[in-house]
Amino acid sequence: MLSVKQCRITHSEWQIVLPDIQVEPSELLVVTGPSGVGKSTFLHWLLGETVSHVDITGSILVDGKSVETKTIEKRRIGMLMQEIHLFPHLDVIQNICFALPKTQELRKKQARVERARKLLSEIGLSHLEDRYPQQLSGGEKARIGLIRALANQPKVMLLDEPFAALDPNTRNKVSQWAIKTLDNQQIPTIMISHDLEDIPASAQRLEFSHYYTGEKA
Amino acid sequence: MSAASYQRKLSFLLIVLALFFCTIQHASAKLDESADKWQNTLSVARGQTVFFYAWGGSKPINDYLRWASRQILTEYGVRLKHVKVADISEAVSRLKAEDGKKSAIDLVWINGENFAFLKQHQLLLGNLWEYIPNTRLLATDVLPLDADFGVKMDGFEVPWGVGQFNFIVSKAMASATSVTAESLLNLAKTHPQQLSYPRPPEFHGSTFLKQLLVELSNQDERLFKPATNKSKAELLPKFWAYLDKLHPFLWQQGEAFPSSSSEQMLLFQQRQLLLTVSFNPNQLHRDIAANAIPADSSLMYFEQGSITNSHNLAIPKGAPSKEGAKIVINFLLSERAQKRKLEGEWGDPSVISELQNTDSSLPSQQELHSSWQQVIEDAWQQRYGA
Amino acid sequence: MATTIRRLIIGLGWLLLAMIISLPVIGVLIGIWPGRFASVDALIDNLPLFLNYNGLGPSILYSMLASLVAPLVGFYVAFSVYTQYRFRPSWQTMERRLAPFLSLPHLAVALGLVYLFSAGGLIELGLGRKSITTLILAITVKEVPFFLFVISAIDRQIPVKKWLLQGRALGYSESASWWLLVFPLVLKQSKLALFAAMAYTLSVLDVSLLVGPNIPSVFSVLVYQWQTGFSERDLSFAFWANLTLIIMLGVSIFCLYIHQWISIRLFRYLAVMASPLVMLSKLSRLALAWFPLFSALSLGIILLFLLRSVGFWSGETYSLTLWQEEWLFVQQPLFNSLYTGLASGLIGIICALIALELQRQYRYFFADYIWLAAILLPQLSVVYGWQLAHTWINGSYSLIWVLVSHIPFVFAYSYLVLKGPFQSLGDEFELVARSFGYSYWQGWWRIRFMLLRPAILSAFAIGFSVSIAQYIPTLMIGAGRFPSITTEAVAIASGRDLNLTSLYMLLQSGLPMLIFIVAILFASRIDGKSHAIS
Repeated sequence: MLSVKQCRITHSEWQIVLPDIQVEPSELLVVTGPSGVGKSTFLHWLLGETVSHVDITGSILVDGKSVETKTIEKRRIGMLMQEIHLFPHLDVIQNICFALPKTQELRKKQARVERARKLLSEIGLSHLEDRYPQQLSGGEKARIGLIRALANQPKVMLLDEPFAALDPNTRNKVSQWAIKTLDNQQIPTIMISHDLEDIPASAQRLEFSHYYTGEKA
Repeated sequence: MSAASYQRKLSFLLIVLALFFCTIQHASAKLDESADKWQNTLSVARGQTVFFYAWGGSKPINDYLRWASRQILTEYGVRLKHVKVADISEAVSRLKAEDGKKSAIDLVWINGENFAFLKQHQLLLGNLWEYIPNTRLLATDVLPLDADFGVKMDGFEVPWGVGQFNFIVSKAMASATSVTAESLLNLAKTHPQQLSYPRPPEFHGSTFLKQLLVELSNQDERLFKPATNKSKAELLPKFWAYLDKLHPFLWQQGEAFPSSSSEQMLLFQQRQLLLTVSFNPNQLHRDIAANAIPADSSLMYFEQGSITNSHNLAIPKGAPSKEGAKIVINFLLSERAQKRKLEGEWGDPSVISELQNTDSSLPSQQELHSSWQQVIEDAWQQRYGA
Repeated sequence: MATTIRRLIIGLGWLLLAMIISLPVIGVLIGIWPGRFASVDALIDNLPLFLNYNGLGPSILYSMLASLVAPLVGFYVAFSVYTQYRFRPSWQTMERRLAPFLSLPHLAVALGLVYLFSAGGLIELGLGRKSITTLILAITVKEVPFFLFVISAIDRQIPVKKWLLQGRALGYSESASWWLLVFPLVLKQSKLALFAAMAYTLSVLDVSLLVGPNIPSVFSVLVYQWQTGFSERDLSFAFWANLTLIIMLGVSIFCLYIHQWISIRLFRYLAVMASPLVMLSKLSRLALAWFPLFSALSLGIILLFLLRSVGFWSGETYSLTLWQEEWLFVQQPLFNSLYTGLASGLIGIICALIALELQRQYRYFFADYIWLAAILLPQLSVVYGWQLAHTWINGSYSLIWVLVSHIPFVFAYSYLVLKGPFQSLGDEFELVARSFGYSYWQGWWRIRFMLLRPAILSAFAIGFSVSIAQYIPTLMIGAGRFPSITTEAVAIASGRDLNLTSLYMLLQSGLPMLIFIVAILFASRIDGKSHAIS
């Protein structure tokens, strides 16, 4: 479960004061709004990156525990960006292995590779396992990107228009698949989107422009 | 004869005798003392390492020093290390930086203005001639070995070898072994674009100019004294007039000169030039033997005599292995070492009396006073340098 | 606690960098003064004489001309060659063939050119024996492979292929797309390499003496003459000449900035005007001739030296005598060079990475000339200053100090090769890694470092060869206790024995050649894996 409280995005010329947000496991929050109002920055802030251009304050709770003071690597929040950023020097299996957590059962290399293969075969992309990212199509990249992010078993997932660059047909398929997968895994998710057609009715929505004030409060 | 006068005579004789014996004893004590000192040097030197800064551009010289260091190690237990430099000014620059304090250099191969500078700034160890036994072998009676380019050695350096300015010329031009300013000009005219000399202030180039100046002013004695405005005004015009005539016939019409004697040699080998310069009268034969130049090349020198100078060895004041360095100098002056230097690959003329023969040396011409070198180089730059 | 340690480490990093870049500055400040050998009065009295020195003006002009023309022509030629060969199968072969040429000393290339093409050479092309044209040509020819190497390190970090595809999709020829889309970025990122080549040309001595004009000489020759002179006048002239040299460097840097500004604006203008760049494309095609010419030339030079070293021209038969005789004596210098090169190459890389990483975290990149101080300042003065300081503190003549004297130069070259690739790699990959639970440094090592491996290898190879090439620092700080293959080779080359000179130049090129080949092979293996199809 993710909750964000008293969040305030301050720019030199404007301000957004967000209502308190709560995203339950298997719940999806879709963030919409015109470009340039800091949607993407908001996700990066949640992730734990130091943001520039704007100032963001507020408290973030993952499973009821505050994470604001934690570094990115301690928050256990996953994110998929517009560019998928598969590591170009690693092949598909290695990319997934990279994200697998270091648990007791995944200590050995053999176990990690097997787990990665299993994840890949579940989405029917086994044939891509020794390809390098440069050799993948956009749809393949996006799906492997999500598998990789999920392999890490994040407590929250952030999607920053990861499928925007795909052609409409693929985009629909991939994003429906992604939402279903996230739902199955019971991961609270925030997604930025411009395209509202394929969003399930159950999703919460947050329109940034509703909370926009031209002047600082 | 009275007893008194006899007694007086006897006591006089005794005094004389006593004085005589005293002197003898004193003299032998002095000999013993210096022998003792040398014995002491030998024992202190054992185990020392001598870093010898010397130009490293010649294989025969490098090989000679490799041979010398083997000999010195077995005979004296002193390690000789040749530090090869491209230009000895690199050693002088280090001595300048050290300024007389503990030095990285134990022995250095120098002459000319390098020596003058180091001596002037008291960066060298003195009294070398006194300490080093083999300096007695030096042919001081035949060779001008007391001064280095007009600067008295005063025991701050020891001669090692002799240089005599000469040309190595191709067969195409070899009309005679000696040359005058006039015949050189004629050669330049008959072989246009094929003669040149290293660009002053390069050592060989400046010496070439000095040879011309000496000849064109009929060895005027003012050249061997510090240059004055009057002597410059009187002696130089003829010299410049000559060069003005010569330059248009030189390689590249005198619009470029070889940068060094090595480069001139390269051009000679490439047959771009018919003549190259050297300070070693035996160079010709060594080069022919090494197939570096055509076998029919020959030697040529200035008729009024080759400018002759010595190249020398000196020990920096701050050298840590002074004793070892003295041992090395002593060895290098030994007949064996000098002989190998003369007769081996290097072929450098000897400085010791035993090995003076006229065959390998050219008629010599005294060096000009060092002030003239600066005068010529500056004025040359002003007239032809740009 | 953790932040204290982190701050301490960062502080130490900055301190290290401050030391490396202040070394050349301190060196020049100490070294430029003639000390007790010429008084301040003498300096001032000699200024008018210096300014009236016959040929000073033309000399400065020659040097400025060479220092701008050689690097820029070299760079444009290299880029043209790159556009023609990048996507040909022969590129990898060619990249490998860069190695020998990169490792040949400039003097060897100049000597080779003279031997092959000047009057009296094997093939007479009427190349002037001593002229500014020949000097510029010799340096340009040697800089082209250097720039190709640098450009290829930059290329690995930008999606050239995609950009070209975009360009061609919009109807431009491939060649025009290279110039309009790729060139401006490559030019910007090659700025430091241009600076380095410019500074090198301005100060190069051996090549200038051999093929440069000498009525009047280029400026570096004058500086050297004065600096190694002894009279008060010479030393005063040397002081003013060194100041002039620094000013000339400043002016040249300024000119290179101006060139970059104009060039980038020009191509932007051409892009806006949708110019098809027909002429330039045709000219670029000429660059296709470069590969065969260059291969022939490098082969020619190496063959020439090989034949020389076995006495081919000096006897009835050739023999290995020279090799056998010298081999005993070159082993130690070769090993000394190898150790110094490996150690300083490694340290140079580490320091360059520290410099880039600290600036990235600080979110501010300092002006380039600060990092390149060692390359830009007059080396003879810098090292003379070090020698003075080294004497004052009674430093030993050991590997450590020789390393210290190499590192500023090696660092500067590593930095200039690495900066472009490092900067063009964004933060996103590491961000993703951190979201998977990896710490900042884990992400840095496993992602940033791994992605930069080809560039790091290139930088190491360049750094290594820079260390091998150091003559003045090795001799002046090592004081002959630490003979390297270069101190030996340079001393030998000052003589007239071409056979021996050839042998030493081959040996001197051997070590860098080895490292370049290894670097290029590894880099193309890493590339080959991730670019398998693209």
